[in-house]
Amino acid sequence: MISAFFIFNQKGEVLISRLYRTDFKRSIADVFRIQVVSNSDVRSPIITLGSTSFFHVRINNLYVVAVTKNNANAALVFEFCYRFINIAKSYFGKIDEESVKNNFVLIYELIDEINDFGYPQNSEIDTLKSYITTESVVSSAIAAEESSKITTQATGATSWRRGDVKYKKNEAFVDVIEIVNLSMSAKGTVLRADVDGHIQMRAYLSGTPECKFGLNDKLVIDKSERGIGDAVELDDCRFHQCVRLNDFDATRTISFIPPDGEFELMRYRSTSNVKLPLRVIPTVNEIGTTQVAYTVTVKANFNNKLSATNVVLRIPTPLNTTTVDCKVATGKAKYVPAENVVVWKIPRIQGGSECTFTGTASLTSTTTRQVWARPPIDVDFQVLMFTASGLIVRFLKVFEKSNYQSVKWVRYLTKASGSYQIRF
Amino acid sequence: MATSMRGLTQFIADIRGARVRDLEEKRINKEMANIRKKFKGSCLDIRNLFPQLTEQIYLDGNLDGYQKKKYVAKIIFTYILGYKVDVGHMEAVNLISSPKYSEKQIGYLAVTLLMHENSDFLRLVVNSIRKDLDGNNEIDNCLALHAIANVGGSEMAEALAEDVHRLLISPTSQTFVKKKAALTLLRLYRKHPDVIPAAEWALRIVSIMDDADLGVVICVTSLVMALAQDHLDAYAVCYTKAVDRLHRLVIEHEYSATYAYYKVPSPWLQVKLLRLLQYYPPSEDPTIRSVLHQVLQTIMNNSAEPTRNVQHNNAQHAVLFEAIGLAIHLDSASPLVGTAAVLLARFISSKETNVRYLGLDTMAHLAARAESLEPIKRHQSTIILSLRDKDISVRRRALDLLYSMCDVDNSELIVGELLRYLRVADYALREEMVLKIAILTEKYASSYKWYVDTILQLISAAGDHVGDEVWYRVVQIVTNTEDLQEYAAKVVFEHLKAPSTHESLVKVGGYILGEYGHLIANEPGYSPMEQFQVLHTKSQFCIASTRSLLLSTYIKWVNVFPEIKPQLVNIFERYRHVLDAELQQRACEFYALASRPDDDELLQNVCEEMPPFPPRVSALLGRLNMKHGDTEDKRTWVHGGKEANLDRDIVKRKADGSFAAVGDGQDIMGSLAGLEISASSAEAGGAIPDPVISTKPPRLTTGPNMDRWFDKLTYTAEGVLYEDDQVQIGVKSRYQGHLGQLAVYIGNKVSAPLTSFTTRIHVSDPDALSVTFAKMPPSTIGPRTQTQQLLHIECKQMFTTPPILSVSYLAGSHQTLSIRLPIVVTKFFEHVKLGAADFFERWKLIGGPPREDQAIFSIELNSAGQLDLAKHRQVVSGHRLNLLDDIDPNPNNLVAAGVLHMSVEGKVGCLLRLEPNREAKLCRLTLRSTSETVATEVRKLVQQPLKTDS
Repeated sequence: MISAFFIFNQKGEVLISRLYRTDFKRSIADVFRIQVVSNSDVRSPIITLGSTSFFHVRINNLYVVAVTKNNANAALVFEFCYRFINIAKSYFGKIDEESVKNNFVLIYELIDEINDFGYPQNSEIDTLKSYITTESVVSSAIAAEESSKITTQATGATSWRRGDVKYKKNEAFVDVIEIVNLSMSAKGTVLRADVDGHIQMRAYLSGTPECKFGLNDKLVIDKSERGIGDAVELDDCRFHQCVRLNDFDATRTISFIPPDGEFELMRYRSTSNVKLPLRVIPTVNEIGTTQVAYTVTVKANFNNKLSATNVVLRIPTPLNTTTVDCKVATGKAKYVPAENVVVWKIPRIQGGSECTFTGTASLTSTTTRQVWARPPIDVDFQVLMFTASGLIVRFLKVFEKSNYQSVKWVRYLTKASGSYQIRF
Repeated sequence: MATSMRGLTQFIADIRGARVRDLEEKRINKEMANIRKKFKGSCLDIRNLFPQLTEQIYLDGNLDGYQKKKYVAKIIFTYILGYKVDVGHMEAVNLISSPKYSEKQIGYLAVTLLMHENSDFLRLVVNSIRKDLDGNNEIDNCLALHAIANVGGSEMAEALAEDVHRLLISPTSQTFVKKKAALTLLRLYRKHPDVIPAAEWALRIVSIMDDADLGVVICVTSLVMALAQDHLDAYAVCYTKAVDRLHRLVIEHEYSATYAYYKVPSPWLQVKLLRLLQYYPPSEDPTIRSVLHQVLQTIMNNSAEPTRNVQHNNAQHAVLFEAIGLAIHLDSASPLVGTAAVLLARFISSKETNVRYLGLDTMAHLAARAESLEPIKRHQSTIILSLRDKDISVRRRALDLLYSMCDVDNSELIVGELLRYLRVADYALREEMVLKIAILTEKYASSYKWYVDTILQLISAAGDHVGDEVWYRVVQIVTNTEDLQEYAAKVVFEHLKAPSTHESLVKVGGYILGEYGHLIANEPGYSPMEQFQVLHTKSQFCIASTRSLLLSTYIKWVNVFPEIKPQLVNIFERYRHVLDAELQQRACEFYALASRPDDDELLQNVCEEMPPFPPRVSALLGRLNMKHGDTEDKRTWVHGGKEANLDRDIVKRKADGSFAAVGDGQDIMGSLAGLEISASSAEAGGAIPDPVISTKPPRLTTGPNMDRWFDKLTYTAEGVLYEDDQVQIGVKSRYQGHLGQLAVYIGNKVSAPLTSFTTRIHVSDPDALSVTFAKMPPSTIGPRTQTQQLLHIECKQMFTTPPILSVSYLAGSHQTLSIRLPIVVTKFFEHVKLGAADFFERWKLIGGPPREDQAIFSIELNSAGQLDLAKHRQVVSGHRLNLLDDIDPNPNNLVAAGVLHMSVEGKVGCLLRLEPNREAKLCRLTLRSTSETVATEVRKLVQQPLKTDS
């Protein structure tokens, strides 16, 4: 099991150090610093040195590290690390070096709560929030009352939900958020396209509601059922612990009693029938050794009622570029020498329309002639009310003993950041 | 400079401030883009420029020198952070030709850092560098020298070595420029030895060793050391200079206070000079020897008492160890070396590791050279104790020393000690130890039994570290020594009984038992079956090659031990199916051989006893010598006894003599291969030119009056020998029997001192005539002063060529004069008094040719038209022949007699008749002597001033 838990900053300084067991000394942190942080060759998230294994997750220049001496379940250890990150995010917004430094008392409190002698414990954010609070003083009477509730909840059938939730207006928000990854060859063939999606839900419902969730009609979730034409295929579905997996396995229905507040209902991946919202057509010509001419066209490949926002194209330039002369009809394009790219920002592209960038980069001569590696063009964007996988929420039904009416909101968002790449 | 370039400071501060690498990269990318933009305007595409370099076009308008300097500095900084930089080279080249120092400096810095030695850009730089070398500004000179030394490309060396040399010898160069020039030249020489005409420049470079500034001397000495190693003869002049400089430093304390390091006068220079002297064979000149002796004596006396100051001690020891090295080199039997041995004994038991190390190293040198090892053997126990020193390098030196000092008397003790130490020695040391033990055991074996015992012990103790050469050698020796075979077989068998044995031992066992196992088979405990079992149990742990050797052993046994044949055949049978091709083949063949009928003679013929090996050079020594890598300063000796060093000298001379490049390396390869005796060294031995003859006499200086001056001095005792605008050389001489003294007066006629003044005597036949300086000549002659040098002369045998005096000095430029000294054979005549009867009796006794030499030649009459009798008399008596009057009735005729004194050949009488004829203007000169060569030579000498100049 997890014997120690650390958080390092980028330089390898220890920010948080917690030893759950006695089989390590604090100096084990130095081993990680030397072997992983200072060693740029290491890419693997698991390093085993002798009988010691280091599991690390990098997030915002932090290393979240769990160390074990046993043959621990790696998936469990990583889940623990990611769970910690989620908890930290929900407690203090973002997780980075500064927030860790500002909240280190709270973090120690949290990591002691979610892990006991190396064994992960209840890490439900809502539950944690009920007794690990950021408020400084809680009167002893309330504290006593609260603590009894905590006990019943933590040991009850739905450890993630208190029984006495009451809202005036019963609402449920469903956000389907998809991240598109693309890599397209210079000839325009798709080398890889997939979607990482998750369904985020915020439930403000009274009592103990029973929810049922319905997705597309033609939905293929199990791999064995492959091959149904235009069906939406989802792989690797993962559900929140509140979802009844027995029901899902038997009837493919997603039914659950939601926790109060925000939670991630499910996570999935889709690799087939991915609809690419933006199509980029680059033409890049090297004219002699002194110039490179660019023509880059972006087409919005979706319903013209929708629009892509915050579109940013990063168009690489050769390493010996001196200046780039940019011409764009929409948005702004600018050469950023620090990153050797032309950044073209388009605030909004209406569906069905297209924009073009033309430019010439002038190059300086170099001592040794090097062929330009032509790194891919990178596109970031967001499209609201569009899912690249084609996933649609058909219904969300809420049943509660009191039979109240509830309002349901669904929102779709497809976005790309850093992995929507087109070679040229 | 740094303060004025704010942009650069800011840039560096930004990079230092970057918290993560990504930020740093971003900052650098941004800066490089900026620089590219700025340079873009100023530089055209260089690739287009290269074909026609003359048409370099620069649109230099928008960048001034300061900006260029700043940007190049940024590029350099980026480059040394490890980023790839491929702009700015052209700008750097441009900066070099800038008139401002700071810009030039950055330009040079960029060139040395950014460009590797084969870069095309260097071609563009060469001209600018040459301009800076030629310039009058010393700082520019230095920058250029730095650049040359740091880049050191071959093209650069070829183009600029000449200029660097000029800067070194130029009298107008500042001392610091000279220093740098010398070191630059050294660096170029080390990198491209063929670029520098070392022999041609020899005199000029050596003359700078007399420079007044010790710093220059140190630098030049370093250069001379490197050059002299490869051109011993050309740099022979440096010997005197080095001795002189040592004398001035050590005895006369002639140095400026800045060059004293903890009261030791410039220890670095001393060490270099002492080392330099070790490259040359000991000088024959008694003056130099005595000066050198005095110097070494002083150095040793100085360091007799260690002081408390560590630095002072270090400096003294550095000098002392080199001095001891030189003393050993000069004469390993001298009392100096005795003193040295006492000192060394104290050092090897010193508390300081470095001192112990040096002590042992120098002692190994002593052991390698000394006639008697007695003084070292006295400290044998201390040395053996050093094998257990805590410092590995000290242990190594102790091993070397023990190896060198081993001889017949102490070999058993030393080898035993080494064997005992081998078990605990470091792994790094073991292989070398094994080799050395093997060599010593073989070389100093008192009995073959001891040899076999020791080597087998060695193999079983050191196992993995035993090279194949060692066990090959054992097999060779056992095979070639018949008395040893039975004993060896027994001992090997005993060793093999040990539960775990090393592969090499199994190999030796396999071979020896196979060949000689039958000799011991009848003794209890050594039966064929037991031999077979012992060997066969080992075979399963062995590699294929050892197993195949064992198979050969078995087939031999099939022949001699019929009683175990079934087991052996069984083994062959099994081995016929192994996968290894070699093993399988052997097994199949042996199986077929063994299964032939018993009366078949084939097996017996195949398994005849091995004939003795032809005598062969041990491959071990070659292996050991290979281990010494070549370092820059070559060692002047090798580890091992005196013979090893003698061998080495011979090999070296051979290598020097033969024009084919037969280096030591190939010799070693030859003997390492072992089986073919190296043919190359035999060839090399064929052509050994006599090293003495190869030193050519210097070319004589010619001048209008040279011959007249010389001829006059042959029959007078004093006069002018040479005169020109700068110097005047006169001589004064005195002779007595076969000895003589000649004073040479050298006058400086100019109003500046003559520096780096060197005189040398070249005698073409040192066995016949010896000419030596009474004391070391001074190195400077003040303006308008005269110096006197006394020469001691001894005539040993008849000689014909007069010695040549070479005088070289610096007066603005370097001048060398080579002048014949008026030392001729007639100078060693003594008068004899003879009456007329005596004279004619001897005249007849000697008789005609070949012991008579006669010549008829024309003479000039004096102004009065008469015979110049006075001159005739003067010449003849000037040649130290006694004029005998009243013998010839004709008063014009001269008759004279003399005796030539020679220390080796004894005395030779000589008679002369001179018969001039006024009318014919002719003269007949007749010489009769008991030695025909003397007659001819004296005739020539007397005739020379008398005859008319035709």
